[in-house]
Amino acid sequence: MKPFAALALSLLALAQPAASQTHLVIVSGLGGDQAHREKFHRWAMTLIDAARQRFAVPEANITYLAEKESLDFESITARSTKENVQGTLAELAAGLEPGEGVLILLIGHGSYQGDRSLFSLPGPDMSAADFAIVLDQFTAQRVVLVNTTSASGDFVKELSAPGRTIITATKSPFERNETVFCQYFVQAFAEDVADVDKDERVSVLEAFNYARLELRRAYESDDRILTEHAQLDDNGDGEGSAEPDPSVADGALARQFVLEGADAATAVATADPQLAELLSRQRVLQQAVADLRGRKESIDPEVYGQELEGLLLELARVSRAIREREKGVEPR
Amino acid sequence: MSSPQQYIRPATVWLFLVLSLPWQPLHAQTVTEARTAFRSGRYNDAIAMFSRVTRRQTSSAEAARGLVAALVEVGRYEDAQQAAQRFSRGNPNSAELANALGEVLYLRGDREGAEDAFRRASGAASDSLLARYNLAAQHYESGAIEAARREFDRFIDVYNRGEGLTAAELRAVAGAVRYLSLQDWQLAQDALRAYDEAIAADPGDLEPQVWVGELFLERYRFDLAEETFAAILEQSPGHPRALLGLARTFKSAGMPGAFDTAERALEVNPNLVAARVFLAQLLLESEDYQRALVELERALDVNPTSLEALSVLAAARFLQGDEAGFAAAERQVLQLNPRYGGLYNTLAEACVRTRLYAEAVEFAQRAVELDPTSWRGFTLLGINQMRTGRMRAGRENLETAFEGDPHDPWTKNTLDLLDTLVQYTETSTERFNFAMDAGEAGLLSLYFGELAEEAYDSLAAKYGFRAATPVRVEVFPNHEDFSVRTVGLTGLGALGVSFGPVVAMDSPSARETGDFNWGSTLWHELAHTFHMGISDHRVPRWFTEGLAVYEERRARPGWGDDVNPGFLVAYLQGRLVPVSKLNDGFMRPAYPEQIGHSYYQASLVCELIEREHGFQTLVELLEEFGAGRSITSAFESVLAMDIEEFDTVFDDYLQERFAGPLAALRSTASSDDPPHRSREEIADRARRQPDDFVAQLAMGTLLVEQGRPHEAIGYLEQAKSLFPEYAGDDSPYWHLARIYKEQGGLERAAAELDHLTAINERNYAARMELAELREALNDRRGAAAALQQAVYIDPMGIDLHLKLAELYAGLSEWTRAIRERKAVLALNPVDRAEAQYQLARVYFDAGDIENARRAVLRALEDAPNFQKAQDLLLEIHSRIETGNGNQVRRL
Repeated sequence: MKPFAALALSLLALAQPAASQTHLVIVSGLGGDQAHREKFHRWAMTLIDAARQRFAVPEANITYLAEKESLDFESITARSTKENVQGTLAELAAGLEPGEGVLILLIGHGSYQGDRSLFSLPGPDMSAADFAIVLDQFTAQRVVLVNTTSASGDFVKELSAPGRTIITATKSPFERNETVFCQYFVQAFAEDVADVDKDERVSVLEAFNYARLELRRAYESDDRILTEHAQLDDNGDGEGSAEPDPSVADGALARQFVLEGADAATAVATADPQLAELLSRQRVLQQAVADLRGRKESIDPEVYGQELEGLLLELARVSRAIREREKGVEPR
Repeated sequence: MSSPQQYIRPATVWLFLVLSLPWQPLHAQTVTEARTAFRSGRYNDAIAMFSRVTRRQTSSAEAARGLVAALVEVGRYEDAQQAAQRFSRGNPNSAELANALGEVLYLRGDREGAEDAFRRASGAASDSLLARYNLAAQHYESGAIEAARREFDRFIDVYNRGEGLTAAELRAVAGAVRYLSLQDWQLAQDALRAYDEAIAADPGDLEPQVWVGELFLERYRFDLAEETFAAILEQSPGHPRALLGLARTFKSAGMPGAFDTAERALEVNPNLVAARVFLAQLLLESEDYQRALVELERALDVNPTSLEALSVLAAARFLQGDEAGFAAAERQVLQLNPRYGGLYNTLAEACVRTRLYAEAVEFAQRAVELDPTSWRGFTLLGINQMRTGRMRAGRENLETAFEGDPHDPWTKNTLDLLDTLVQYTETSTERFNFAMDAGEAGLLSLYFGELAEEAYDSLAAKYGFRAATPVRVEVFPNHEDFSVRTVGLTGLGALGVSFGPVVAMDSPSARETGDFNWGSTLWHELAHTFHMGISDHRVPRWFTEGLAVYEERRARPGWGDDVNPGFLVAYLQGRLVPVSKLNDGFMRPAYPEQIGHSYYQASLVCELIEREHGFQTLVELLEEFGAGRSITSAFESVLAMDIEEFDTVFDDYLQERFAGPLAALRSTASSDDPPHRSREEIADRARRQPDDFVAQLAMGTLLVEQGRPHEAIGYLEQAKSLFPEYAGDDSPYWHLARIYKEQGGLERAAAELDHLTAINERNYAARMELAELREALNDRRGAAAALQQAVYIDPMGIDLHLKLAELYAGLSEWTRAIRERKAVLALNPVDRAEAQYQLARVYFDAGDIENARRAVLRALEDAPNFQKAQDLLLEIHSRIETGNGNQVRRL
């Protein structure tokens, strides 16, 4: 078996914890009737509660615009008019540090009129072009926009840009049936169902994959034809992927984007130098695994397998040592 | 494919001429009336009126032609011939009736006489163009194809000259172009145009309309064919050829009613040879060779040179194993037309209907050798090569067929299917090759292979016969794909089919949960593969179906069709077909449920034979069929009784076996009560008739629905005791299980579901409920058994496999636990890392360290920080380092 200590040391210098505090903006559009208003509010609150309670996103980082503020005066920041949406996002863009992340979730109904997709709001609707103007103000931040409405497919093409993740519930503006993508997308953050890489965080990619798979299963279970085909684009090419794979096209940014507060971003800080070293080694190994996986297709499978097993074994040992150290047990 | 020649009928050109004349002779009024009677189907009136005119006006060619046409339409060919000859004798210088005479002579099989008559008419008569067409057609049907085609080509020139053609002449042009379209399908449109012009020229003439219907039929436009024939029948309700056309349409489109409609045609024209031949073909499909031969004999009495009748006769002889008879009929056809590929197409089709796929390939091969433009032959060749597993050759021949005739739905559908099939994933076990949709193969191959191998071993041991391997099994998630694979068209109601070396079936995902049990279906089809192997594909349809259901029942508790009230009521009402005619129950069901009843009935026949004579007798019967014996002679030689005698024995068996349920259903069978009754009526009937199963079950069910389960128990228990074999989804077992469970009687509830699932193979919910009950009763083995049976109904749910994996692991049944963990992975769970970890865990617990290591590494590759997986990896390496692991291999 190859020793991995040397490798860990050599990679140590690469380990840089990301300053990744995130902001959440939820816009719930026109419901059309009370049942839809309540459903949209329920979905919005599912994500807000998860952000608050599971991922420690500060209250100040959460903005919720809805059709009727009377639904929940405490949580709803303002009415979801076009003016408020534009103003909120412009203000946020002006106040964010470079590298910070913002997740914008659009809930409601969409339509395709003439040659453009629209997000239905009280008062004037917003088109992808309208959103393009406000998103362009986030010049140095990581932005994720998730349009969960029907006929939203056009948003990918219109809003795609480097450093930006765009998700739509449909693959084209012609999928006009009511969507349920949002239900599964927010559930991914709210329940222990989507963290497939077991890092105790839910990335946008994990949430997207959870939503699309569960959505398909639900349609199949009900013997219905799937009428919404969600897309994700984060490589800026304007082409969404139904099954994003970072090694092929989309997914690399979405995989790194998680909801987290400032505490989580700085959680590696510790007064215990041994623990700090272990945590540092853990990050190095995690990164090494990620790098190796990224190169999988270009490596001889046997070499890949050997290197992967070595890294994973070492990572397992270090992770166990961290847990024991944290419990006050001398690492084995 | 039928050639157009068989539809040739006397011309009615005179009608147009009469209408065109500015003056009318005295007899014209009567001719008009006679023509009206003829066109509205009052053939006897028409004959009487035409006869009167021809007696008074012996030189009236119009009246004589009308008389001949009317006599022909009702099959009085000899009288028609005499009428035509009488005119010619009375008018020795006229050839006006020569064409009509030629057509009658042709219908009677006098080809030489017909040709002489057509030649006379083609020189001088007013219907000479029609005569020239008939002459060319006769050349074509005699094998002088090139010469005939040159003659047909000239009709295009006639048309293009643009001279005002009469309706009959347009019909002749259309007929000629229709012949040319057999080689060049694009000309069919031109034929249709000419027919339409003929119809426009004389809208009352039904003749071109019949030809149009036949053209639609040839071009696979079954909807338009049906519409056309129906329109003719509205004007002339008994029109024999329209009825026959409709019957053919029904057959081609897979609609019911073909046999009866053809019989109606024969009621009007008992000498309609094409209808007799059609009936004979249907009877051959039912393997009723005797009746088919009677029909053919009657057809050949009318026309001993009918190529179609002789071809079907050859098929009947071949299927009967009568080599000399077959050779004689074959020789006769080829003497009449040495290039008649239709002979071998007919033989191939007959072989397909009786499951002789290899023979069908041979005959279709001969058809295309004889006639390289027989696109139907190429289609038959391609499809049957695919049925026998020769996929590549099959595709090549289908592509040839498609080039020649791109509208043949059998060809196009099958080629489309091949495009789908190439995307399937192929997997293999020792004796089976499986082709499955890529999205399902991972899951289904875990179960199909194991079950298929088990079935092979079981059947091989029972029958003392080893079916040829590998057997190819194709599993279709889209039922219509399966349907096309089976019959070339969509809409087949079956679940699976065995061609012998190839089995095709619906995937469990092709249907709603509870619609069928894929496990029993696979077993059933594999049983057919054995039956066909033992009998050299000569086992009668009903027998192999019955024996396959019988085998299902022996494979697993609950599998196979079961008795239900509908079957016994049908028996009591005399609606079951006797065993001696059981094929009719499959091929020509008299009521919608009859096919299902026939499957069950046939399985009971096999059970009775086994009970009375032993299982080996069933094998001996298969061997007898393989030796070419009919069902009648096989029963006589093996069971020492004729099949009619067996009918009586079987009747006694039913009476004995179902004595109780039959008594409990007798009042239902004889009752005219409406099916929907008021609550009071149900209660009253239940009180008055404690021994009536339906009354007791209805009352029990009603009380359950009313939320009075405690009161329902007595009625349901009574219903159960009256008909304990009934375990349908609405059976007393189901209701009682739910009631007992609600009352806390878990053991009793489980017992009820044990009974239900031991009979009913498709009730998924009952098995899930039973598993839950068994687990609550700490019977994990029972719970696992119930869930395992549920997998054979619907294996697509992740939760089912998660539960099974857990139960099998708890029982230390590691092989099964591993399979279930693999099933979870195959269902593409969102949390693949967890699924891989669980697979690794069960490998580890099973002591398979190497596979555990590989699986846990796959888990960690997806989720490097997965703590449980990290711990397992460390545990595995600790085991390896201490020398307790298997040899380590790399990913």
